[in-house]
Amino acid sequence: MENLALLWGIVGPGVSGAVFGAGWWFWVDAVVCSAVQVSFLHYLPGILASLAALMFNAVNKDEIGYDYYSPYGDDSEWRVKLWLFVAYVVSFVCLAGSVGLLVQDALTDKGPSVWTGVAGVLQCVLVLISGLIYWTCHSED
Amino acid sequence: MARSMRTCLHSGRLALLAILVSGGIVLQILACALYNNWWPMLTVLMYLMLPMPLIFFLGSSSPSMMSNEGDGWVNFTKFLTGASVVGSIAIPSILKHAGVIGWGALSMELSSFIVFGVAILWLIQMNGEDEYSSAF
Repeated sequence: MENLALLWGIVGPGVSGAVFGAGWWFWVDAVVCSAVQVSFLHYLPGILASLAALMFNAVNKDEIGYDYYSPYGDDSEWRVKLWLFVAYVVSFVCLAGSVGLLVQDALTDKGPSVWTGVAGVLQCVLVLISGLIYWTCHSED
Repeated sequence: MARSMRTCLHSGRLALLAILVSGGIVLQILACALYNNWWPMLTVLMYLMLPMPLIFFLGSSSPSMMSNEGDGWVNFTKFLTGASVVGSIAIPSILKHAGVIGWGALSMELSSFIVFGVAILWLIQMNGEDEYSSAF
């Protein structure tokens, strides 16, 4: 099992980059192949997901420990937890938003096609997974 | 193995590597030229990003790519490599999906990507070997 952890530390960031790229390229494909103009509202879940992934990777993992003494005083743990909480909220909101847009696209014929909605959900999911993967591998110190 | 033999083999391998890389470039350009459609050249953007970790860390004494110690920047360049690998597969596929290029151009693009991938992996392996043997 030790070897697996080492291996993960080596290829982890690459895998995370690949998944992130896959998420965004599915979206690019949907926008390029869409017969109608895709409105900015449809771009939002993807952009917010990337933002959320960035947010929860910006956290220094040591700060969540119990013995951490920070220059801001003894009770600064809550800042990190608040940051993480906001990141989680943003990621759930954009997941829900992309699923909602998919349902809306599937129901009407006048808006973007079903592939656009599906690609939006795929993009959101893959970007968030990529953020998680990057988080797990940069803590393998 | 005699020293001269080893250097001869080494430069032979380097020459083969150079042939592989130029073969990849030829395939890439052919994919555009044969069909008189210059859209696949977009993939070149991705190929520029692909060897970045090698360029940054090839001669340096800092922890190499294959080690576990992640400096923040090493991890980020690996992230970029992963994204550009997917990008160089994705751009030709998107062009094909949108009907801008045909099957022939797509297959040449993908084979050019495979050739570059093999060349880079071989270069990493050769670099790893060099460090090992220079210790003697």
